[in-house]
Amino acid sequence: MARKMLRDGEQKEYDFDLFVIGAGSGGVRASRTSAGFGAKVAICELPFHPISSEVVGGVGGTCVIRGCVPKKILVYGSAFRGEFEDARNFGWELDEDIKFNWKKLLHNKTQEIQRLNGIYKRLLTNSSVTMIEGEGKVAGPHEVEVTQLDGSVQKYTAKNILIATGSRAQRVKIPGEELAITSDEALSLEDLPKRAVILGGGYIAVEFASIWRGMGATVDLFYRKELPLRGFDDEMRAAVTKNLEGRGIKLHPQSTLTELSKTDEGIRVVTDHGDELIADVVLFATGRAPNTKRLNLEAVGVETDRTGAIKVDEYSRTNVPSIWAVGDVTNRMNLTPVALMEGTCFSKTVFGGEPTKPDYKDIPCAVFCIPPLSVVGLSEQQALEQATSDVLIFTSSFTPMKNTISGRQEKTVMKLIVDSATDRVIGASMCGPDAPEIMQGIAVAMKCGATKKQFDSTVGIHPSAAEEFVTMRTLTRRLTVEPKI
Amino acid sequence: MATSLGVPRLPFSPKTLQTLRRTLPLSLSKSPHSTPLPHPSISRSPFILRLSHRRLSSRPSASGGGENYDFDLFTIGAGSGGVRASRLAANFGASVAICELPFATISSDTAGGVGGTCVLRGCVPKKLMVYASKFNHEFEESHGFGWSYETDPKHDWGTLIANKNAELQRLTGIYKNILNNAGVALIEGRGKVVDPHTVSVDGKLYSARHILIAVGGRPNMPNIPGIEHAIDSDAALDLPARPDKIAIVGGGYIAVEFAGIFNGLMSEVHVFIRQKKVLRGFDEEIRDFVGEQMSLRGIKFHPEESPQAISKSEDGSLSLKTNKGKVSGFSHIMFATGRRPNTKNLGLEDVGVQLATNGAIMVDEYSRTTVESIWAVGDVTDRINLTPVALMEGGAFAKTVFANEPTKPDHRAVPSAVFSQPPIGQVGLTEEQAIEEYGDVDVYTSNFRPLKATVSGLPDRVYMKMLVCANSGKVLGVHMCGDDSPEIIQGIAIAVKAGLTKTQFDSTIGIHPTAAEELVTMRTPTRKVRRNSSSDEQKVKDAVKSST
Repeated sequence: MARKMLRDGEQKEYDFDLFVIGAGSGGVRASRTSAGFGAKVAICELPFHPISSEVVGGVGGTCVIRGCVPKKILVYGSAFRGEFEDARNFGWELDEDIKFNWKKLLHNKTQEIQRLNGIYKRLLTNSSVTMIEGEGKVAGPHEVEVTQLDGSVQKYTAKNILIATGSRAQRVKIPGEELAITSDEALSLEDLPKRAVILGGGYIAVEFASIWRGMGATVDLFYRKELPLRGFDDEMRAAVTKNLEGRGIKLHPQSTLTELSKTDEGIRVVTDHGDELIADVVLFATGRAPNTKRLNLEAVGVETDRTGAIKVDEYSRTNVPSIWAVGDVTNRMNLTPVALMEGTCFSKTVFGGEPTKPDYKDIPCAVFCIPPLSVVGLSEQQALEQATSDVLIFTSSFTPMKNTISGRQEKTVMKLIVDSATDRVIGASMCGPDAPEIMQGIAVAMKCGATKKQFDSTVGIHPSAAEEFVTMRTLTRRLTVEPKI
Repeated sequence: MATSLGVPRLPFSPKTLQTLRRTLPLSLSKSPHSTPLPHPSISRSPFILRLSHRRLSSRPSASGGGENYDFDLFTIGAGSGGVRASRLAANFGASVAICELPFATISSDTAGGVGGTCVLRGCVPKKLMVYASKFNHEFEESHGFGWSYETDPKHDWGTLIANKNAELQRLTGIYKNILNNAGVALIEGRGKVVDPHTVSVDGKLYSARHILIAVGGRPNMPNIPGIEHAIDSDAALDLPARPDKIAIVGGGYIAVEFAGIFNGLMSEVHVFIRQKKVLRGFDEEIRDFVGEQMSLRGIKFHPEESPQAISKSEDGSLSLKTNKGKVSGFSHIMFATGRRPNTKNLGLEDVGVQLATNGAIMVDEYSRTTVESIWAVGDVTDRINLTPVALMEGGAFAKTVFANEPTKPDHRAVPSAVFSQPPIGQVGLTEEQAIEEYGDVDVYTSNFRPLKATVSGLPDRVYMKMLVCANSGKVLGVHMCGDDSPEIIQGIAIAVKAGLTKTQFDSTIGIHPTAAEELVTMRTPTRKVRRNSSSDEQKVKDAVKSST
C-alpha cells in the first residue's frame, strides 16, 4: 500500500507515523482511519482474556470483551424470564420451572466474543495496521517500548503516539475486598450466583442487578444516594427504581458495605447499617479508573489529573505535542461511540489535514437495565440550571400495550424538555421497553436542533411506544426561570 | 384560501365568549346533549365556556344565516378520525354529536363500535395478536441463551381471544368516556345523510351546521365461487379456535401480518400472492428481504397465484383453486385483498357528495366534500389509510372549521409500519420513487446479523436502507426490516420530516449496542445512482459495516 510521506526532511525518521497503545474502540478506529489517510500505523495490545489485568486484555477492548457486547448478551439472556411471565396471559402454557443453563450461555457468549475479537484483528490487518502483542509503555515523546509475552522488550519509534488504553473497574477499600468481584469477572463467572450483592448505583450496578435477577438470583443492591443513576433525570431515576423493585430486586438506598468475610455458607456481608447478609457473589460496581499506571507517562511528562486520566486539549492532544489520547483513558464521556468519534477526529486532525474537534453536545446513551432507560440532551434538573428562559416539560406515563394483556404492572415513562424561547427540544428521556432503539432517531432530530413543533408535525407510527414522542400535546409543567442578572 | 373556502368563523372572539360566560347564568347552559360532568382538569378545559357557546350556537349567529341546528357538528362514525374531530371540535366550543353502530368485534351494516377499525378490528387487536405470536420466536431464541423446557410451550387459543376481547371492551369504554368527557353526544345507531344539514339515525333526524363522514373502510373480497367459505381480517382476529392450516390470499400488509400471527401461533400458513413478491409499493429490496425472512420462519409463499374458486370437501376442509392448480386441506381461507371505503347506503350520492370509482369520498385539501357543509376524514377518503393520518385529518378539520385556523393535513413523509415478523418501518420515498423524482441518489444499505441472533443461532437478520439526494444531501427515505423497526423509525421520521441531511445523521452519536445506531453510522454508499451516467447503477462497493 502506498504511503504518503509526511513533510520533507522527516521521511523515514520514525518506524511509524502513528503508534497506538491499546486496541479498544478508540484505538482501533483511530488506527484504521489514520491508515486510511495513508499513515503507517502500528498498534499494540495485550493477549486476549475475558478478564483484564496488567498483562491480559485483547483486541476489541472493554466494549467488545468486557463491556457493552457481553453485557448486552447477558441482558438478552435474562430478559427471557420476563417474556415467559408475560406469555402466559397471551395464552402460552409453559413449564412451571423453566431451566436456565448459565454455562451454555457463558459458552455461547465467549464464542461470540472470540469471533468479534477475530473480526477486529482482521479489520486492522485489512487496513494494513501492524499489530504487536504485548504491553506498551511510553519510552519517550516518539518512542514506545513493548514487552512481549516471552518477556523480550522491543522498541519502536513513531512520529505520533496515541494512548487508548481505556479504563478498568475499581475496587472499594474495605476489609475483605478481595472476596468481591468487578464487572470483568461478573461477565465470566463459573457458576451463576443464587444470592448476589451489588454495591454501586451507576449503570453497571443496575444492569447487573437486572441480569442476575432475570437469571433467577436474589439481588440486593446497595447505593449511597436516595436513588440510583446519579446524573440522570430524577423522574427517570425514580422510574428505574420502581421497575427494579417491581422485578424483585431488593434496594438498599443510602447504604454501603463495610466488611466482607468468608464463611461456610458464603460471603458474609456487613452493611453500614449493621445488617448482615450471606451472598455467593459480591459485585463492586463503584466506578472505573483510567488505565494509566503502568504507561510510564511520568517519564515523558504527560500530565494526568488526580483520577489518573490523561489531560488532553479539544483535539485530544496531551501536553506533549507528539502524544495524544482518546477514549476512557481521558475520562471525558466514557462511551464506545464517543471513543469512536474521538478516534476519528484525531485521525482527521493529524493525518487528514482537517483539524476536527469531537462534539459532545446531545450525545445519547442507554442503560440496559430491564426495562431499559435511554436519554439524550439535558435532564430536567440540568435544563433548569442552564435555562435562560422558561422550560417546558412534557411527560407521559402509560401502560405499554403488551402489559394490558400480560398484566405486568410496569409503566413506560417519557419526557421531553423544551426551551420556551426557541421551541427547541433540549432533552428527551424514556424508561421502558425498546427505549435505546427508540432514542437513536430522537437523537438525530435533537442533534440538529429540532423544535417541538417539528416533533408534533411528525405523524405517529401506530401502534408503537415511540409515537408518544410525537403526540405529547399537553404541557405537564412550566418551569419559570427568573432572568439571570 | 380560507375565505374562498368559506370557512365559517366563530361568531364571537374568545374574549367575547369569556365575557358571555361571566354574564350568562349557568342555568342557561343546560343543553339536552351535554353531559355536564365536572371535567377532571377543569382549569385547562373550556368546559363552561363551551356550554355557553353551545346554547348560543343553536341560535341565529353572525355567520349562520339565521338557521337553527341541533348541533354545530354531526359526525357519522366514531373511529379514530371521527372521535378526534368530535372531541377537538367540542373543545373549540362546538356542540357535537357522533353516531356509531353497536359494538361487535366483527363489523357489518349493523355492527361496529366506538373506537372503530383501529381499536376493534385493526391496529390494536392485530398488535396484541402479534405480541402473542412473537413469543414463539422468543422461545426459540431463548435456547441459545441457555433456557430449556421439559415440555414444549403450548398455546391456548381461548385464553388469548378472551383476554384480547376484554381489552377491546375496556378500550371501547375508554373511547366512550373520552367523548363523554368532551361533552360530545353519542348516539347509537346507523347514520345516514338526508340532506346537506340533516342526518338520520335509524329514522330519527338531527340537523347540523356541518356533517363529518368518518365511517372508515371494510375488508373487501372478490366475488369468486365459494367465497362464502372465506374469512376476512375482522373474522381472523376473532376466530373461536386456532386454524390448523390456513391459506391467506393477498400480499399487502394485512396478509403478511396475519401470516406472521398464525405462523407464530403454530398454524401451517400458505400465502397466495398475485405478484412475484409481497408488499407492492414498498421498497423492492425490503420486499425481497421480508419475504426471505418470513420463509425462514416457516411461511410458505405461493407467488403469482391468483384465487379462482374455493370448494369445501365432505370432511369440511377447504381447497383453493388458483391459476396454477389446487391446494387442499385448509381449515381456513382468509382473504386480505384490500379494503373499501364504507360509503354504501350513506345517502351521499343523493345529496351530491362526489365519490371516486372505488367509493371513496372525494375531498379537497381541507377534507371538504363537494357539498359545502359535508366533510370527510380517514379511510373513507382513501388518502393514506392509517390511524395517525386519520387523527391528523380529524385534528386539521376541527381547527379549520371550529377554531378559525384553516389547516391542511400534511401527507408528506408519513412514516408507517408493517407488523410482520420481522416488522418493517419506513418513512419517505422508496429507492424507486427517489430515483424517479430526484435522479441522482446515493443509496446506503446495511444487511447484518443482529447481536441477539449471533447467540440465538437463528437466521434472523436486519436490513436497512437510506436514500440520500446526491445534490442536496437530504435524506429522502429510510427503510428498515428487522426487530423493533417500527419503534426505531419513529424518531428517524422526525428527522426526515424536518428535512435533515445525511451529514446531520452522521454527526449524531450512536447508542451502543443497538440496531438503530447503524442508521447514524452508514458511511459508504452501496451504490450511487446517477441519471446521466452510462450505467444506471454504479456499484461503488459493498457496504462495509463500519463497526469499529
